[in-house]
Amino acid sequence: MLALRGQRILSKPKLLALRKYAQVALPEENEYTDTPVYPDIQDASLQARKLRERESVYANIRNLNTVEEKQIGLNMPRYYGWPCVQFKEDHIMYNAMPLVQYYTRTYFKTTDKLPEHYNQFSEIASSIVNEIKSLIEDCIVIENEGLKRNPLTDESKEGLQQKEDSLSKNIVRQINRIIINNIADKVPHILSSQVDYDPKHEAFWFMGGTDVPAKVVNWRKQFAWLKDRLHEPIDRPIQYTGSPILTIRNHLPLKPFIPYNEAENPEFKVEKFTYVPESVGYGVTFRHGTNIPGFWPGDLDEFGLLSYHKRGHILKRNEHFGTLDNLEALHCQAMKASFGWLLAQANYQGFTTYNDITYPLTTQTVITNGHLISFYAYQLNTITMNRDKIENNPKHNICFGTKPFLLYEKLENGKVMGLNEDVLKMLVQFYLNAPEEREHELKPYLGKEEQVIADIEDDNKRCWLESRYKHLMSNTPRHNLLPEVYHWEKIYKIQHKTRFFEAKRRPFELGINPFKRRLDDHLPSYIPKVLRPYPRSKKKFETTYYPKV
Amino acid sequence: MSTRWYPIYQRGNPQLRIFLPNFWMKLVRPFPQQQPNIVHFQCSMEMTKSDIRNYLEKIYNIPIIDVRSRIITGKFKKDIGKGYVTKEDDIKYAFVTLPKNMKFEFPNIFEKKKGDLEDNVKSLEETKKTFKQYLERNKDRSDIPSWFSI
Repeated sequence: MLALRGQRILSKPKLLALRKYAQVALPEENEYTDTPVYPDIQDASLQARKLRERESVYANIRNLNTVEEKQIGLNMPRYYGWPCVQFKEDHIMYNAMPLVQYYTRTYFKTTDKLPEHYNQFSEIASSIVNEIKSLIEDCIVIENEGLKRNPLTDESKEGLQQKEDSLSKNIVRQINRIIINNIADKVPHILSSQVDYDPKHEAFWFMGGTDVPAKVVNWRKQFAWLKDRLHEPIDRPIQYTGSPILTIRNHLPLKPFIPYNEAENPEFKVEKFTYVPESVGYGVTFRHGTNIPGFWPGDLDEFGLLSYHKRGHILKRNEHFGTLDNLEALHCQAMKASFGWLLAQANYQGFTTYNDITYPLTTQTVITNGHLISFYAYQLNTITMNRDKIENNPKHNICFGTKPFLLYEKLENGKVMGLNEDVLKMLVQFYLNAPEEREHELKPYLGKEEQVIADIEDDNKRCWLESRYKHLMSNTPRHNLLPEVYHWEKIYKIQHKTRFFEAKRRPFELGINPFKRRLDDHLPSYIPKVLRPYPRSKKKFETTYYPKV
Repeated sequence: MSTRWYPIYQRGNPQLRIFLPNFWMKLVRPFPQQQPNIVHFQCSMEMTKSDIRNYLEKIYNIPIIDVRSRIITGKFKKDIGKGYVTKEDDIKYAFVTLPKNMKFEFPNIFEKKKGDLEDNVKSLEETKKTFKQYLERNKDRSDIPSWFSI
């Protein structure tokens, strides 16, 4: 009776809303198939569910249309930034080679000459060297002896580094000018290339397959349910920062040195390095992950050809490290710098640390102080090293490197003695290596219409994304800093619960972990009443356009 | 340098004099796992990086590449019974890098031998047996202490 009465009271729309489990009869009569089709059975274990969650994030980032949105997407989980391992170009610790090789997944090959690929430019290079020889000699003499500078430096290690870096910067700019002026009418790609002075190079990626830091293990120890999962692998965010003296870039990519399928050759396998990076001396700071190859997305010349780097940091190193480790430090610098620059370029093509590149990218790196000069040729084959991919990723990157050569013997009576023409030839060969049009698609993961946010037609969305992206990439500190835990609170409230009777108001008492705050976890900017659309609008806050990741 | 006291004065020569510095270094097991050429020490608070380097190079002839040191805050503990919070002393740690071709393995000090467990079980059985004998012997004088016997 009661139920009947109830039914009569409810109106028709409400009834419709209540019938959640009701199904409309299928219009098709053929609802049965000959063989039963079942949905896939999914693994219901915790690890499998977490993996599916992560994979959906990877897919969401891949499906985003523009470069900038992908970059914001990488940073979405952290409001105060990722705890990034600081991979600086000019800060190389003792015995860092195994770590750098593993973290950049690079097979390093020492050679005395450039890879075979460069032999085709040998003849032209020789003739060019003959033409520019005297000019290079002049520039070396003038920069070393002809100019009087007042460097504001002392004789300390830092002072020596600054002095050498400033000298090498001047020499490199001159040498680049001389070579470019000479070959601009001989090879077509130089005229269409751009030269950047002191660009900013930054790259961000996730590294799996390393030991879990002690801090994380200790944190997990306090929870009973994490007892068996103390050493469950985590991703370490890595941030490379560097600043070359000069780079040259073009709208076409360089040819690969070795075929792409060679990248899976087990010969190029890199030894595992699982020790925590802190044990080698690489520290951690909180910052947003940034990928910047020296220009902003939308620039047409987006493939690097050549970059010059300083080597003054070698002077600053501890003298106990020895010459052999100093040589390795140069190799490390080259691997870091080449990988970092190429990774940032790959990010501008729509790939991220979660979605691997589909074709190889190459670059040429020169490390010099104006007297010593070493050459590196780098081929990027893979960029996914996160914990889900590291174990079964067969691809490796390859770096060919030489030892430092002397560009000239010495300076005497205002003259260069013994200019090494072979070395100069190698440098010219780097310039002659022409980029080439690729036959495959370069940006498979970017949208067809929208590839950068400048392509977005909606004014509000475009402007909002632009300012958000630039602000994120600038890594300026947040206006509201992290909530601080005072030392007395740590002792008397967290470690020992001696003040349990007090009202719980602080974030750590309310179970809030500020480091886990998401990027979009904030109030959007307020629209003042006078600026709201006429006649009446209840919309108090502006729309945000964070990518859904 | 030394804060140790001289021995009490005794008449006559030669006098006993102690010139030991307060420097000490204690080898500790690293956590988390380190590269094989990195060794962790606890050392006295007064030692600087140069002191640590000299200590190992001059006394033990160990080639040192790099020394990093840091002071780690002592643990805060609650006093059992009284309930107030106390703090243990801070510790200075030295992270010493050896040349990359050198390896250091932390010694297994309390090595368990093959027959250790059986020996322990045997001695436990023995003790149980003697205790039973003692109870058996004193079953009709339960209120008398054990030392009160012939």
